[in-house]
Amino acid sequence: MRRENLPQMHGAVRMGYFIFRRLVGFVLTLLAVSVVVFLAMNVLPGDPALNILGIESSEDARAALREQLGLDEPAVFRYFQWIFNAVQGDFGVSYSYGVPVSELIVERIPMTLSLAFSGMVLTTVVALVMGITAASHHKKTGDWVVMLLSQLGVAIPAFWLSMLLVLLFAVKLRWLPPGGFAGWDDPLAAMRSLVLPTVSLALVQSAVLARVTRSSALEVIRHDFVRTARASGFSRQRVLWRHVLPNALIPIVTIVGLQFAALVSGTIVIENVFYLPGLGRLIFQSISNRDLFTVQALVMMFAVIVVSANFLVDIAYVLIDPRLKARTE
Amino acid sequence: MIELKNLSVTLGAAAAVRDASLSIQAGDRLGVVGESGCGKSMLALSMMGMVPDALAVSGQITLNGTAMPPRDETAWRPHRARSMAMIFQEPMAALNPLRRIGDTVMEPMRVHLGLSREDAIKRTLDLFAETGIRDPELRLRQYPHQLSGGQRQRVLIALALACDPALLIADEPTTALDANVSLRITDLLVRLSRQRNMALVLISHDLGAVARATKDILVMYGGDIVERGPTAAVLAHPAHPYTKGLLGARPRIEQAAGKRRHLPTIPGSVPGLFDLPKGCRFSGRCSVEMPHCARSKPENVNTEQGQAACHQLKEGHNGG
Repeated sequence: MRRENLPQMHGAVRMGYFIFRRLVGFVLTLLAVSVVVFLAMNVLPGDPALNILGIESSEDARAALREQLGLDEPAVFRYFQWIFNAVQGDFGVSYSYGVPVSELIVERIPMTLSLAFSGMVLTTVVALVMGITAASHHKKTGDWVVMLLSQLGVAIPAFWLSMLLVLLFAVKLRWLPPGGFAGWDDPLAAMRSLVLPTVSLALVQSAVLARVTRSSALEVIRHDFVRTARASGFSRQRVLWRHVLPNALIPIVTIVGLQFAALVSGTIVIENVFYLPGLGRLIFQSISNRDLFTVQALVMMFAVIVVSANFLVDIAYVLIDPRLKARTE
Repeated sequence: MIELKNLSVTLGAAAAVRDASLSIQAGDRLGVVGESGCGKSMLALSMMGMVPDALAVSGQITLNGTAMPPRDETAWRPHRARSMAMIFQEPMAALNPLRRIGDTVMEPMRVHLGLSREDAIKRTLDLFAETGIRDPELRLRQYPHQLSGGQRQRVLIALALACDPALLIADEPTTALDANVSLRITDLLVRLSRQRNMALVLISHDLGAVARATKDILVMYGGDIVERGPTAAVLAHPAHPYTKGLLGARPRIEQAAGKRRHLPTIPGSVPGLFDLPKGCRFSGRCSVEMPHCARSKPENVNTEQGQAACHQLKEGHNGG
């Protein structure tokens, strides 16, 4: 027993070091993003005060606003102040809502995250079933049907699909609400209002992921260990889901990571189509209102969500494939 | 136990296996030898009901008295791992790289025999001991890439034995291993076959391994079984020109010690599946070929040692 603890501890230490390095990369990426966001919002030509107040405003009023927003300080100073405050959860006060930006984010982030997560789960489930079915019926009817459906899915824009879904399920059949959000107090009503947005988000993404799953599974099916599993008398489903799928996961997880970013940015459109009070709708309104601090904080939030997803994908690789763990040094 | 009658495996007009008949009983140890591409592996796969979809199978396969449709997965599946099991050439590729060794070996016991995890672990450790796997407790938790080639092949053997099959088919089990390890794996297979009264089909192009391990031998060339009989007798007095050539092409210690000379070879190489002669598959490379050999398929002739399919033997038999 004592013998086997040794290599495992080494493994744990290596794994810890690997995660630590990824965390450093995670933080550096976010710093780089923050510089880009800050530059885009503050240093590029154009006077925010002029944007907010319009060209009819007086020079005095603009100067007063600049001072109120702290824009008269040097840019470098303002950047570090922004970062310093942001790390402590202070993103400034929203110009258009008159409340701290952090409050707005805390209030609205559950909506966006639940949309993105449920969209991702639905995407993955649909894509895996479709992709594995297609691969196991390679060059037969099942394969053609799945590929045709996914071709359709890839070709349809999400916002158009969402309108068709609303027409059918909300307007004609009246099964689901056409938009709006009843609040989290009634979980059933909340889930009902999330169904159509989730489906609109997920269908297009799952069409893409189904193709990745299919081709990755087809590549794995050729391997000898799949023949071993068949020779062991396992059912087709067991061979596919327990032996083929895990080995096909690396490319699938990579795409899922990228798609999560697409889903999060997709919420901007979908939340507007369905009138859902999330970060996507908030960023849309803040841009219209020229609400500088809010937009800046929200872009940063979206970046954090996407970079976190990629960080999790990196960790997932090592959890999926023990051979990568050996190489994490 | 398992019987093949006039089994052919064909791809269009080309035959990977032609008219093969054989019968295996409990405790038999049968060697199948021949060059690469002579149909040995197809013969083995047809005994598992696992011939690739692209190829057509004809003839009869009877398993424990039941006729088996060659391609019906649902008919074959209950027999795999339980009636017969197979181990493959590349032990690294044949193991799922993402699974711990223990989980891989336990899976058939848990699925087919319904063993609890504790019972499956116990049985796996027994199998590890039986197949000579070192540090069995540690192996349970390791992944295939952490094992040596010989240990991996032992794991595959343990996996094949998981549900106590009556027949073990080993397709070139030692080709990917070095000579020393290869010898020990061959001996292990013989020992297991004896102890468990389990039939063994050893497919190999290593005549030495087959001579050491098997009681009977099939010599295949170009999809045909060209000679068969008791291993020792056939190898001592081969009747078919191909078997003679194969034996002549083996390196020998006394040759290496004596004066240097080139290893004798069979001239030419095995033609592709579509270029095989219609009659005797060996025509074109045979040293004692007669004009009609390429056209007509030789029948099996009884020899002193067993059977061989060669026109020369037929003529000789008639003449003498």
